[in-house]
Amino acid sequence: MVQSKKQKYTFLAFCLVPTFIMFAIFTLYPLFSGLYYSFFDWSGSSQNKEFIGFDNYIKLFNDAIIPNTIIHDYFLVVTKVIGIMILAMFFAVALTQLKIKEAPFYRVVFFFPNIMSVVVIGILWTFIYNPSMGLVNSGLEFLGLGNLARPWLGSETWALPSLVLPSIWAGIGLFMLMLMGGISNVSKSYYEAAEMDGANQWQQFWKVTLPLVWPQIKISILYIVITTLNGSFVIVQVMTAGGPNNSTHVMGSYLYQQAFVQYNFGYGATIGVMILILSLITVLLMQFLMRRDKVEY
Amino acid sequence: MNRLFKGRFFLLIAVLLMVALIAACSSGEDNNDTDDATETSGTPSTDAEGEVSGDLEIQYFVGGYGDSWWKEVIADFQEEYPDINVIEHAGPNINDEMRSRWVSNDPPDVVYIDGAGSSETQMVEDGQLMNLTEWVEGIELEGGDKLVDSFIVQPGKFNGEIYSLPLVFDTWGTWYDRALFEEKGYDVPTDFDSFMSSMEEIKDGEGIEPFVTSGQHPYYFLRGMLYPAFGAAGGEELLADLITGAEGAWTSDVVLETMKKVENMQQEGMFDSGLGALNHTQSQMNFLLHENSFIPVGFWLPNEMANDIPEGFDFGFIPSPMQDEGEPFAIVPDLRPLAIAENAENPEAAKAFVEFAFTREYAMSFSEHTGAIMNITEVDLTENENVPGYLTEANAMINDPEQVQIYEKPHPMSADLETPIGNALMSLMLGNMTAEEFVEEAEKAAAEYRD
Repeated sequence: MVQSKKQKYTFLAFCLVPTFIMFAIFTLYPLFSGLYYSFFDWSGSSQNKEFIGFDNYIKLFNDAIIPNTIIHDYFLVVTKVIGIMILAMFFAVALTQLKIKEAPFYRVVFFFPNIMSVVVIGILWTFIYNPSMGLVNSGLEFLGLGNLARPWLGSETWALPSLVLPSIWAGIGLFMLMLMGGISNVSKSYYEAAEMDGANQWQQFWKVTLPLVWPQIKISILYIVITTLNGSFVIVQVMTAGGPNNSTHVMGSYLYQQAFVQYNFGYGATIGVMILILSLITVLLMQFLMRRDKVEY
Repeated sequence: MNRLFKGRFFLLIAVLLMVALIAACSSGEDNNDTDDATETSGTPSTDAEGEVSGDLEIQYFVGGYGDSWWKEVIADFQEEYPDINVIEHAGPNINDEMRSRWVSNDPPDVVYIDGAGSSETQMVEDGQLMNLTEWVEGIELEGGDKLVDSFIVQPGKFNGEIYSLPLVFDTWGTWYDRALFEEKGYDVPTDFDSFMSSMEEIKDGEGIEPFVTSGQHPYYFLRGMLYPAFGAAGGEELLADLITGAEGAWTSDVVLETMKKVENMQQEGMFDSGLGALNHTQSQMNFLLHENSFIPVGFWLPNEMANDIPEGFDFGFIPSPMQDEGEPFAIVPDLRPLAIAENAENPEAAKAFVEFAFTREYAMSFSEHTGAIMNITEVDLTENENVPGYLTEANAMINDPEQVQIYEKPHPMSADLETPIGNALMSLMLGNMTAEEFVEEAEKAAAEYRD
């Protein structure tokens, strides 16, 4: 059937215009209003606001806490990417290649944390880390390693590393499923051919599986990076509220503190702009670093 | 496809983008319209006979004091003023939930300022509260006493003007389990030295770290222990200088000496080593479970934890014992005020409610409901069986200047100063900073705050 030009445009407009309007209202508008408020001295709780030009940005560059929040964020990004990808890959390969009978059961078990709210996970892990009645310290004491027990979340040194474990635990399931999807799309014949050529399981993994699921790995890593930069705020807020002494503040939680606890909404918006710019640079950089020619056998 | 983005479609997208931009950049100016719209929908007025009527919106935070007192007052008010329709906005997160109403200039009529997310200082600075200076002069209590002469602590003043009336008189102090102390023969502290020796005794006797507070909110220790300590050591003048961040106040010798006491507590292992991560409820729970034996919080503690109190637990309250030997205890009152919005839609009804709530009768029932004190004098709690024992005792103690000195602070400390000082304080309490380093950090924070 031949479509007239008018029909074609009407159909395209039907698909694009509502989406674009939604996008404009829910993404562009907040984006630009955030940018707009970053030029104001505003408490965020009244109508009085004063235009102050770039003062908030000058404050941002002189704020001694900001560099630490950035370091903390990237610490979480790096540790989460490494931890989640290694474990998710391991489970995905084990559940698809090793022909375990209980695979569907494990799939559900590993995916389970993903259907729980991050807030619930945070609260759960604060109990696990509780110095006197928590699982971690009592477990260490049970194993005779009582001297390793410490107030994990209450220590300026250990609080941030302690946040990594729940973040990884909460993230594995989703990426395991993504990788399993990728692996099950790899034709069996490649493995048979590799086996005939004398490749062992390890070589099969490196030479067949990994290159063929690279697109899934790339997307997973990008997704972890973006969600960590934008969302690590929740776990920090629930478990430590940025403390003790700012030792766990990430950019998002510091934004929250400035905007809603210290009533510096304008400065909070400025931190938001910084997060946007850093996320953008990071994602572009990752895209560049992870580019690879598509592998086909 | 390429043509698509060159022709009309591109124009459409460009227009939409412009609309989004304009909308984003013009939000500040269009609020007058919303005002008009809401005014016509509401029904505020004083009707023909001079009776107040219409909708009355009341915002109140529900925390440790619960909401039963509010329910009682509102029900009585409703009976007295049947033409007024009271709309309650209440809950533990009500300050955040109502924020958009305040920002869009459509506030409730009456607001009780308490709890996280609320700041009286901020509201006054933002011009959100009605000036009550003249109106309050005309209010009388049931016996004919003028309300302004019957406050335990006078309303806070901003440039000499009154914007809120202090409803709740709370004070931070140090709690202990009287039953445990009596059973084991531990001494109830009377000054800092006896506090240290009592904690030493408990440390040995119970095998616990005796002192706990919420590390997630370092201001608990600041308000609960340090304000009284500063009051005792340097009086109201020092307290005011520290709260306003006056130059050199935080590095003064008196402050350093006080902070040395805190350092001493840390070095002697008096602080719970896990307190850095504890939130409000966890720290109070630790105290109730005898994981620790002293906690500095306000009068809300027994009421808030009512469902978790172990059998045989008997609340004992003393003003925080940070003062030197021979000095009286120090108390710094913490007031939670009631205010009327500058842009209240029904100011007459709002005034009627505020006047209605401030009576000695409700002050008595406030103590019964909440275990705390309303900011009205000459309310005799001793005869009332429904008032908890710790409260009558504390009340008697507070009213005896031989035992307790009251130091008033000019206004609450701004969050911009309290946050960095609290962070440094936490570091000191965890042993990662010395008292000397702390006062330097605090002085730096005060300098930044002054700018």
